[in-house]
Amino acid sequence: MFPTPVAKYSGWAQWSYKLAIPVALFLWLLPLLAIFMTSIRPASDIAQGNVFGIPSSFQMIQNYAEVFAKTEALQYLINTLIITIPTMIISVGLACLTGYALAIYRFRWSLPLFFLFVAGNFVPFQILMLPVVDMSNRLEIINTVPGLVMFHAAFQTGFCTLFMRNFIKALPFELIESARLEGVDEFRIFWHLVLPLVRPAIAALSVLIFTFIWNDFFWATVMIQNDASLPITVGVRTLNGEFVQQWHLISAASLLAAVPPVIMFFIAQKHFIAGLTLGATKG
Amino acid sequence: MTTTSAIVSDRYSTSTSQVLISIAVLLACLIVLFFVVDTAVVQDWLGYARREEARVPTFFLRIVVLIGAIAAAFFAITGTSSYRRNRVSYAPWLFLAVGLAFFMVYVIIPIFQSFSYSFTRWDGLYDVNGIWTGEWVGFRNYGLLLNDPNFYTSLWNNLLWLVLFMLAVPIGLGIALFLNQTVTGIRIYKSLFFFPFVISQVVVGLIFAWAYNPEFGLLSEIWGWFYCETKVNIVGNLTKVCSVDPPSILGNEHLATYGIIAAGLWPQIAYCMILYLTGLNNVSPDQVEAGRLDGAKGWNMLWHVILPQLRPATFIAIVVTVIGALRSFDMIATMTQGGPFGSTNVLAYYMYDQAVGEGVGRYGYGSAIATVLFLIMLVYISYFLWRMYQDEKGAH
Repeated sequence: MFPTPVAKYSGWAQWSYKLAIPVALFLWLLPLLAIFMTSIRPASDIAQGNVFGIPSSFQMIQNYAEVFAKTEALQYLINTLIITIPTMIISVGLACLTGYALAIYRFRWSLPLFFLFVAGNFVPFQILMLPVVDMSNRLEIINTVPGLVMFHAAFQTGFCTLFMRNFIKALPFELIESARLEGVDEFRIFWHLVLPLVRPAIAALSVLIFTFIWNDFFWATVMIQNDASLPITVGVRTLNGEFVQQWHLISAASLLAAVPPVIMFFIAQKHFIAGLTLGATKG
Repeated sequence: MTTTSAIVSDRYSTSTSQVLISIAVLLACLIVLFFVVDTAVVQDWLGYARREEARVPTFFLRIVVLIGAIAAAFFAITGTSSYRRNRVSYAPWLFLAVGLAFFMVYVIIPIFQSFSYSFTRWDGLYDVNGIWTGEWVGFRNYGLLLNDPNFYTSLWNNLLWLVLFMLAVPIGLGIALFLNQTVTGIRIYKSLFFFPFVISQVVVGLIFAWAYNPEFGLLSEIWGWFYCETKVNIVGNLTKVCSVDPPSILGNEHLATYGIIAAGLWPQIAYCMILYLTGLNNVSPDQVEAGRLDGAKGWNMLWHVILPQLRPATFIAIVVTVIGALRSFDMIATMTQGGPFGSTNVLAYYMYDQAVGEGVGRYGYGSAIATVLFLIMLVYISYFLWRMYQDEKGAH
């Protein structure tokens, strides 16, 4: 193990290490803690310059309730959910199919097509923006939630395919080979043999896509202009304009937008990290 | 004998009824899709007052019919004897069809469309007859780019982002080494350190915009400990008197970009850290022990024994950091919107600003900027694919 385990240090060094971690964590998360403290204090505190001290009164519930009462925050959260969930289902579902095709079959186009998905996954959004907007316009789905979902689902299919293909590639191929020799139909092999085996990959991808789409800002700004369909990330920025200098409300709204991905991360931490660190250990 | 051959021939023969019925369904779906489902028609059927309101139902109707058409096509193909004889060569295409088509339409083809837009002057509109209103201008947009000071500012800032963002890799490694211990509660510490990456960049941007606020931000408070003192003024209120006023980081054209990059580093460091933590988990203990026996310690050990084993993690960390740096948009949009005086523009934001921001509507010029950004990214994409190709070749 590297670095040397602290257990081998002298007592004093062990103590200082154990003390150093919380201090480092405190400094690391200071901006987050500070904004949380701001979100639970009354506006008068901030005006008087009491930004970090103990709040003169704890107004957590009032502040957060005010955000919901004064703005469309609830609608924004619901919008984000109805953008995020279908995207997750479509892209992960399609990637199971494409990933299977690219991992199992040896055909000439297998690698080029795989690289196409990988490359597409890395392109800057701006190169896609205008044609996608134009196409959505002509399909009459610009400014609607389904319009945004279609793009997200298609784009995320690239990343999901990369992930799925590598995951399926690592499965024992003999299993599929023997089923094929038994005369089992390709679709049955996929459905009954491979799909149960890729469940961990499906879990990891679902968590990742949930977070990616929840946190998306660019595409929502580009594709949605009407207030009723905005997701929370764009909504929060609009609130920033409405609550000029009312930092206690801005911070409450920002934290609201951050909570669901954080919860998702804590629920499925193992899958989340497995998904993000794919490829970091091979070789 | 006869039964076996009967079964074999049955396995390979065309199932005529299946194929015919499927083709009929397919044709019916296509006719409905192209000639019947229309926003105006759906508006009439479902009684919407405005055409706008009929758009989403129309879309769903189209999708349902499209799914029907795809299913029918699949049934038609699987009914043919050709499919039954060559399942293994047909199957990958059947599995790929929908995902690939979807990806092509929304990702691959638009790249080329953007190239072609970049040779035109267009505001994104069509005339009443649905005819394109742009005009072909050749390389003029690229010529304009070369004389646009904002373009050079953006390019320079992109370079700054690329270089400074790379700090995330060593800092992430540092934190990973710091946390790679087994003391009680370390798992929770690790996940709390990872926190910033899970939060939306918009929220990170807002947090830092607030932290940088010279009046009541985090930074001004810390600044106050060193340069300011609180006094009671004549009226009796508390006021802060500073010997040096706190800088307005986002309001200063020389500091703003650095401020945004620092904010962007926060989640990026967390990402690199998690990559290295996973990598360190897989470092072979034998080699570390062997290194120790050879007298390697500290930096020596890190450089000669650990880092070579962390190479895959480093590679991924660099790739995601480069992509993160070139994609920086959300933070700029939330923190400065390119200002002050365009000093924080990067290509990604400048393109957006030219094409749809502020009602400019310069689709052609925007596409030219996007193309430049894409070409820069292409260098990295090619390198990444080349590395992947080497890996794939090694695997066989």
